[in-house]
This record gives sequence, structure tokens and C-alpha cells, in this order.
Amino acid sequence: MSVLRILIKRNRIWVAISIILSLVANLTNMIYMYYVGELVNKIEERAVVSMAFIVLLAAFILLSVATLFMNQYVGRITAEKMAHTLRIGYASKLIHRSAEQGKECDTAAAMSVAQNELAQSDGYLTNTFFDITGMLFTGILAMAFMFLQNVLLTLVLLIPTLLILIYVGFSSRSLSTIVSAAQDEKRKMNQAGFTTVHAFPAVKIFEGEELCKKAMDERLVSWTKHQTKVGRFAALYNTLSGILSRVPLMLLLLAGGYMVIKGKILMGTLILFLNLQNSLTQAIMNLPNWIAGFKVFTTNLSRIEIEKRG
Amino acid sequence: MIELRNVTYKYEDHPVFQGISFRVEKGQKVGIVGESGCGKSTLLKLIAGLYTPASGEIIVAGKSAAAEITKKVTVVMQSPMLLPMSIRENITMGHDYPEEWIDMVIDAANIRSWIDTLDKGLDTYLGDRADELSGGQAQRIAIARAICKNAEILLLDEPTSALDGENAACVLEALNRYAADKTVIHVTHRPEHLSGYDRIFSMKAGKLSDETAGVIIYES
Ligand SMILES: Nc1ncnc2c1ncn2[C@@H]1O[C@H](COP(=O)(O)OP(=O)(O)O)[C@@H](O)[C@H]1O
Ligand SMILES: [Mg+2]
Repeated sequence: MSVLRILIKRNRIWVAISIILSLVANLTNMIYMYYVGELVNKIEERAVVSMAFIVLLAAFILLSVATLFMNQYVGRITAEKMAHTLRIGYASKLIHRSAEQGKECDTAAAMSVAQNELAQSDGYLTNTFFDITGMLFTGILAMAFMFLQNVLLTLVLLIPTLLILIYVGFSSRSLSTIVSAAQDEKRKMNQAGFTTVHAFPAVKIFEGEELCKKAMDERLVSWTKHQTKVGRFAALYNTLSGILSRVPLMLLLLAGGYMVIKGKILMGTLILFLNLQNSLTQAIMNLPNWIAGFKVFTTNLSRIEIEKRG
Repeated sequence: MIELRNVTYKYEDHPVFQGISFRVEKGQKVGIVGESGCGKSTLLKLIAGLYTPASGEIIVAGKSAAAEITKKVTVVMQSPMLLPMSIRENITMGHDYPEEWIDMVIDAANIRSWIDTLDKGLDTYLGDRADELSGGQAQRIAIARAICKNAEILLLDEPTSALDGENAACVLEALNRYAADKTVIHVTHRPEHLSGYDRIFSMKAGKLSDETAGVIIYES
């Protein structure tokens, strides 16, 4: 069983609550946007805006703010719980392993894991994991919601977005290969540092200082090279995807504007679409970074052995 | 010749030795036994010049400065302390030795047959795969490193404690063969490994008593 699955399973109640809250928060937000669109439509049609409508709108504004807050709050707690399970799981694995094998654990390796894989997974869980799942939800829900509103306009938005998705799929794969290579270099570099500290008495007695310094310098240079490459490619892909992300918006404005002028749809519907397309494109544009980040996260996790019992 | 004169040493405020004196003649083989935590490793580290005493004097092969002492000794520690580099680099620690010397070292440390099974032989990288080594293989690389330095004094700090019986015997045999004409201080918790030694000391709370003669060498 993969470590991620264990983390989710051990905190399944919190994960479930987070997911439900994320869904509810997104739904209320969309319904609120929908009512804003409706309001614009009513004004455009010079229709009477009933008191009940205003109260409903206000209620959804409040609800949307409240669920958003709850969603973030519970998301942080869940992330922290999962990170905690990871740390404790790793610690008890170390203890069990040294007890079972009756030998000292490899401090240098353990320290290296703690400083690299564990710290990064921890950071990813607490800072990114639930934000990303939230945004992905928003994107998917936004799309479903738009389909319900107007199929043609959704297609105008969706087709270029799907083309972008293909580009993004390509760039993210390419980026994540580069990222994980750089990550590997970093791990080796740190490992070399820690092992040298751990083996320092031997380094002194056998006068290996020169050798160690040379090895660490080489590692540093190699890591820097990889890191620069990551920066270069990330900048390139993000700039391109940034430019591409404007295309659906332009098409939406053109097609939607035309439909409004022709009286096919109301202004409010277009406003609703403009609001929602933001969620959708944002989700899709960020996919390369997320996929790369997630890949690094799972690679990190695969290097951390945690205690499977208890 | 190794001599400690009235040496005091402490870790922060944890005193280990308070005026210990101790002498080993050139070519002598000396064993030290004692419970863990009594200061055996600290004593070896002092003799290896890794630590400087708070007071008193340590003279090893006529030298007393820590950096000079270090040049005179070679050590096998409890854990092999390997670096994420090739087997060759772990043995030579980056110094140039003639190829024949390295050949001799490999035989002496009993790793020839194992190295011959490796695709890259001596240039096999011991980084990420270090945990694929068995304890015996790792410790024998450490022994090869100690032999390669070829200093006149050999310090052994429980060199077989992480190994099973068969591996331990093999490692000890390699060490004894090499150490025939060296000065040796061997710390162990298994007195049976000290057969044929000139003197055996037992250490208790930073004090040494000569078990061979039954005399307490130092009392504070
Ligand atoms: N680096 C250190 N810092 C503080 N105390 C230490 C350190 N190394 C050892 N000690 C302490 O010094 C005493 C002697 O340790 P050591 O020489 O390793 O004993 P032995 O090798 O006989 O087991 C022990 O009480 C130990 O806890
Ligand atoms: Mg010890």
C-alpha cells in the first residue's frame, strides 16, 4: 500500500470532511455567482427584484464566505494531521527497524530523509495539497455548472481549453522529469553532506577532507545546473501557458458578446460565464505546476518508509 | 609507543577521564574491555588525536600535537563510516597509492573475491546502494581503508560488534594477520577476541585496571 493511501486512510474522517466542505464551498460560491448573473438579467429586463431574491442573494454571499473559511480551516487541519501521521510513521518505523534488526539505524540516511523527503512532503501537504484539490474541484464544478447554463457558450470555452490542456499535458510531463532530476541531485548533495558529517572521524583520521570537499563541490555544481534548467523551463512553459490562457477568454468575449447583441443570451449569463471561466482556466493553467509538484511529492513519499502497523 | 600522562577529558560538563595515565610499548597488543559508556571510545579518540585533552599529555609515536598524532594511527571503528563514493575512494580516501599496494590491501582485508563479482569492481559506487552492502562487506571496506593507511598504530573500536559470528571471525582474522608487527589497542566487549594479546585492561567509569597483572594502574 502506498504511503499516500495510508495517510489518507488513517485520517479518512478529516479527509472526507475536507472534500465535502470543498464541494459545498464551491457549490455555494457558484450558486452565489449564478444569483449575481440573475440579478443582472432582472435589471436588464427591467423586471421586479423581489425581497426574497435579495435575501437569498445575501444568504448565499454569507454562506459562501463561511464555507470558504471552513473549507480552508479544515483543509489546514487535515493537512497537518496527515503530515503528523507521516512524521510519526517515519519515526516509529526507524525505532521498530532498529529494534528488530538489533542494530543502530543509519543516522546519516535518516537525517537526510528527515531534511529532504520528509520536510518537503510535509511542506507540500500543509501548503499545497488541499489548495490544489480545492482548485481542481472548482474547475470541474465550474465546467459542469456552465454546461447546465448554456451548452454552446460552454463549448466555445471548452474546446480551446482542451487544446491548451494537451499542451499543458506535454509541458508538465517534460517539466516534471526535469524537476525530479533536479530533486534527485539535491538529495544526493544533501546525502553527501550528511554522510560526511556522520563519517567525520574517519574523514579526519584518513585525511579525506580534500576528497570530500571535491565531491561536495561537484554535487553542488551539478545541482545548480539542474536547478537553473528547472527555472528556465518553468518560466518558458508558464509564459506560454499564460498567453494561451487568454485565448478562451477572448473567444468567450467575442462569441458571448455577439450572442448578447443578437439577444440569444442575457448579459447576466455572460457575466456568470466570465466569472466561472476564470476558475476553469486558472485550474487548467496551473495543472503543469501541480502535476510536477504532485510527482515530486509522490516520489518523496516513495522514499519514506513509514510504519504500517498501528 | 603510546603514553597518556595524567589526562583529563570531559564532554561539556560530563567528565570521562580525571587524570588517567596509561602506557603501551611499541609492538604491544593491548585489549580493553568494559561496559558501554565507561569511556573506551573516548580513550581511542584521544589516542587518535580526534580530541584534545583538557589537561595532561598524550604522546603517540613521539608526537604530542593532535594533528601529528592522527598521522601515526589508523582506526577501525564500530560502524564502517563509508562515504557515498566508489569503493576505491572509500579505501584510499582520495590519496594516491601504487596499484600493487591497493591489490595487497584488498587481499589483506579479505574482499578480493567479493569485488571480483562486481561489474565495476573497485569503481563500484557506494552511494545510494550503500544499504545493499552487508554489514560484513561494509566493515571489511573500512578495514581495507585502515590497512591502506598503513600507520604503525592500529586502534580497533569494537570492529566486529555489528557482525554475526562468521563475518566477525573473518574480519578478525584479516585484522590479526595485518597487525602482526603493529602496535594494537583493541576495544571489545568479547574478551575471547583478545587471545594472544600482551595485556588486557578492564575499564570502569574512566579508570583502567590491568587484568593481566591484576593491578589497578590508575586510581583517582
Ligand atoms: N559526543 C559526546 N558528547 C557528550 N557525551 C558523550 C559524547 N560521546 C560520549 N559521551 C559520553 O561519554 C561517556 C563515555 O562514552 P564512550 O567513550 O563512547 O563509552 P564506551 O565507548 O565505553 O561505550 C558516556 O557516558 C557517553 O554518554
Ligand atoms: Mg564505544
